[in-house]
Amino acid sequence: MDFLERWWTFVSTRGDQIQSALGEHTVYVVTVLGLASVFSISLGIATRRNVLARELSLAVTSVFLTLPSLALFTIFIPLVGLGFAPSFIALFLYSLLPILRNTITGLDGIDQSVLESAKGMGLTPRQVLVTVQLPLAWPVILAGIRVSSMLIVGIAAIATLVAGGGLGDFIKSGLARLPLPNSLESIWTGTILCLLLALVIDLILQALKRATISKGIR
Amino acid sequence: MSEPLIRLENVTKSYPGTEAPAVGNLTLDVYEGEVLVLVGPSGCGKSTTLRLINRLIEPTNGRIFLKGEDVTDIDSSQLRRKIGYVIQQVGLFPHRTIAENIATVPKLLGWDKVAIASRVDEMLDLVSMDPAVYRDRYPKELSGGQAQRVGVARALAADPDVLLMDEPFGAIDPITRDRLQNEFLRLQQDLKKTIVFVTHDIDEAIKMGNRIAILREGSEIAQIDTPEVILSDPADEFVENFLGSGAILKGLTLKKVRDIDLHPIPALEMPVMRDEALRVLEESPEKTAVLLDKDHRPLRWISEASLNRTSQPIEKSGKPITIDLQPEDTLQDALGVMLQSSVGMAVVVDRSGKYLGCCSIESLASLIISDSGGASSS
Amino acid sequence: MTVVSPPRVERSSLAERLDLIVAPIFAIILAVIGGAVWLYSDIDDTTRAILAPEKLQNQLVQTLVLGFASSALVILIAIPIGIAVTRKGLPRLKNFLVDTLGLAQALPAYGLIVLFFSWFGAGIGTVIVALATFSLLPVLRNTIVGLEQVDNAVIEAGRGMGYTKRQVLFEIELPLAVPVIIAGIRTAIVINIGMAALAFLIGGGGLGETINSGLKLDRNPAILIGAVLVAILALIFDFLSAVAQRYLKPKGM
Repeated sequence: MDFLERWWTFVSTRGDQIQSALGEHTVYVVTVLGLASVFSISLGIATRRNVLARELSLAVTSVFLTLPSLALFTIFIPLVGLGFAPSFIALFLYSLLPILRNTITGLDGIDQSVLESAKGMGLTPRQVLVTVQLPLAWPVILAGIRVSSMLIVGIAAIATLVAGGGLGDFIKSGLARLPLPNSLESIWTGTILCLLLALVIDLILQALKRATISKGIR
Repeated sequence: MSEPLIRLENVTKSYPGTEAPAVGNLTLDVYEGEVLVLVGPSGCGKSTTLRLINRLIEPTNGRIFLKGEDVTDIDSSQLRRKIGYVIQQVGLFPHRTIAENIATVPKLLGWDKVAIASRVDEMLDLVSMDPAVYRDRYPKELSGGQAQRVGVARALAADPDVLLMDEPFGAIDPITRDRLQNEFLRLQQDLKKTIVFVTHDIDEAIKMGNRIAILREGSEIAQIDTPEVILSDPADEFVENFLGSGAILKGLTLKKVRDIDLHPIPALEMPVMRDEALRVLEESPEKTAVLLDKDHRPLRWISEASLNRTSQPIEKSGKPITIDLQPEDTLQDALGVMLQSSVGMAVVVDRSGKYLGCCSIESLASLIISDSGGASSS
Repeated sequence: MTVVSPPRVERSSLAERLDLIVAPIFAIILAVIGGAVWLYSDIDDTTRAILAPEKLQNQLVQTLVLGFASSALVILIAIPIGIAVTRKGLPRLKNFLVDTLGLAQALPAYGLIVLFFSWFGAGIGTVIVALATFSLLPVLRNTIVGLEQVDNAVIEAGRGMGYTKRQVLFEIELPLAVPVIIAGIRTAIVINIGMAALAFLIGGGGLGETINSGLKLDRNPAILIGAVLVAILALIFDFLSAVAQRYLKPKGM
């Protein structure tokens, strides 16, 4: 098709731009996921016994997800300025709930008899957590991380509106130049690359799943 | 025999991809007022056959007749409103009250509100559940036995002539199941519906059925006859194996407790004086009496020995009565209860728990002996 | 042996109550922040112009119209599809739909809106269709899940008693699936109101316009107040949906 040819030309002549935008986007996703996972999983573990604390954390993090993305990206600007900072904060807050919720359900869903036998064998609560509970809850937690990653890849495109870079740049510049030549290709590039990045991250997470989950519970 | 109420004529049900049909060229008649039990091993097609009657499953071949009318092609939903249907997991609508559940078919048939309301109460009474208490409750508040009672009430609400039941008591604990079976038999005596009942339990089949159809794979009828005939004269090895060993013992399920003469054990109703109790015991042949509470319900077995052994009040002497029988219980149940009892006898009570009499192993034995004597001479 | 059971759909009553409290509290906190900014920061003429009440009012209405129109569209499309796809005989279509739409979630909404703009031109209609496409998944998936988790025994009893297939759907399946479906609609409404903030990109108006003006003209108060307003709007509708979710739950469940 004519369009595909033009698009191919567009893409192949902008290798550097694509690389940097893709790089920025990936940095967002990876850093946010990393930090959010650590934070959410810790929060999930810390609040798993206290019903009030747990429900409160779930309620608050789900309110974050309710907030419109543009609002969350821009509301911190007076505090931290434009660029990477507000984008990072917004994406971080968004990605908390899925991971937190899955950490809690994952830990909750473990068969009581397994925990009891672990305790009965003399494992301390901490040992039970680290050697039994977390490994067993890990598949569910990973599923939560996956949901968050899909969420973030799409939303990170908005970073461009606050000068945060990322693949959204292509969409923005394409929009600005419509209907001039190469504008449509630019938009498609931004959009499709997000999708591809999502697929790649998904594959990586699946590989991670296979590598870290014991055969016994797969 | 008169015209059958239900007739399955050369009905076949086959599923694409499987060679053998689930129901193979079956011709089956059900007569008015009878309880026909379909029984057979798992997978023989008995549930499928049942559901062909109300066309929840459509036949691949053959015709279905209800009251002489060919109903194979009519609107199936209309057909089902005339047939009561009870399933094992009950399937009460959780988002509706018990009253609304029971009112379902009458509402579909366009009954007016007043008629529906009184019918709902009538049905709840029928299954021994106080309408005032249960009418506005929700299914989630009921126990398994209660839920199935409502299931039956719901099926009977529009007064269908036919009732289809698919292992209705299968998901219920044995004690409640027994009670429900007895109640159902009492109900059937009054209502005289035409019932097709599916079960995998041969004992239940013998207890509940006027006729039993023992089915092989493909819903092929191995034998269809009254329980007495099947037990005394099994048609082939398949039927014999299905009946299991101990046909005589199985035969005990044919007779009910009400068929035995109750043993004349004297009953003492509280409050009673020690002296009078001793006098009565003196006169009784077994030196045993039943102690009743003031509501005429059995409490304890009292014997002369136990009374003399202790200076305790009467209510604490002797042995407590922990199990009882009802007239509808089969002799097989009775035997089990009597063997458990410490005195080799069992009290028989009516549906409100009031004492009727006692049942002893001797009277059971003489019944068996006279029966098998009769059978072997035929 | 499954050692970890699937997540429960039921929520404790504490969770439900918190649901109804936390969002309004957040909204109030945001309103306070917005008020403080309005009162205590440097509001010059440009900012005043951006934040002119009539302007804000218009944008508010625009955002609402967009949010609701797209949600209504999604409901009208997704629920019938969800119903159709869970009828007997279409399991493969259903799986296919759920899988592809799952992937579609990773598509940037921003990109979608702009693409739709390039195809269909500017205006509210375009935004509505773009938003609807994006929020299709939650409603469709929840319709499917909600219908599938209805106890089969109840459906069989209904059919056995003489309900037609249509009656079974409307009297039994849908009422019992309502809690799950409404949860999906709630998600869709929140997504749509939130994404409606991006409508300004293609001439669809809305409160995003205020935020954008603030960004372009470098007026932080405007940015903040715009963000606060659109956030409060989303929280209000989330709260209303949560209330609806609670009161539309059939009794007896």
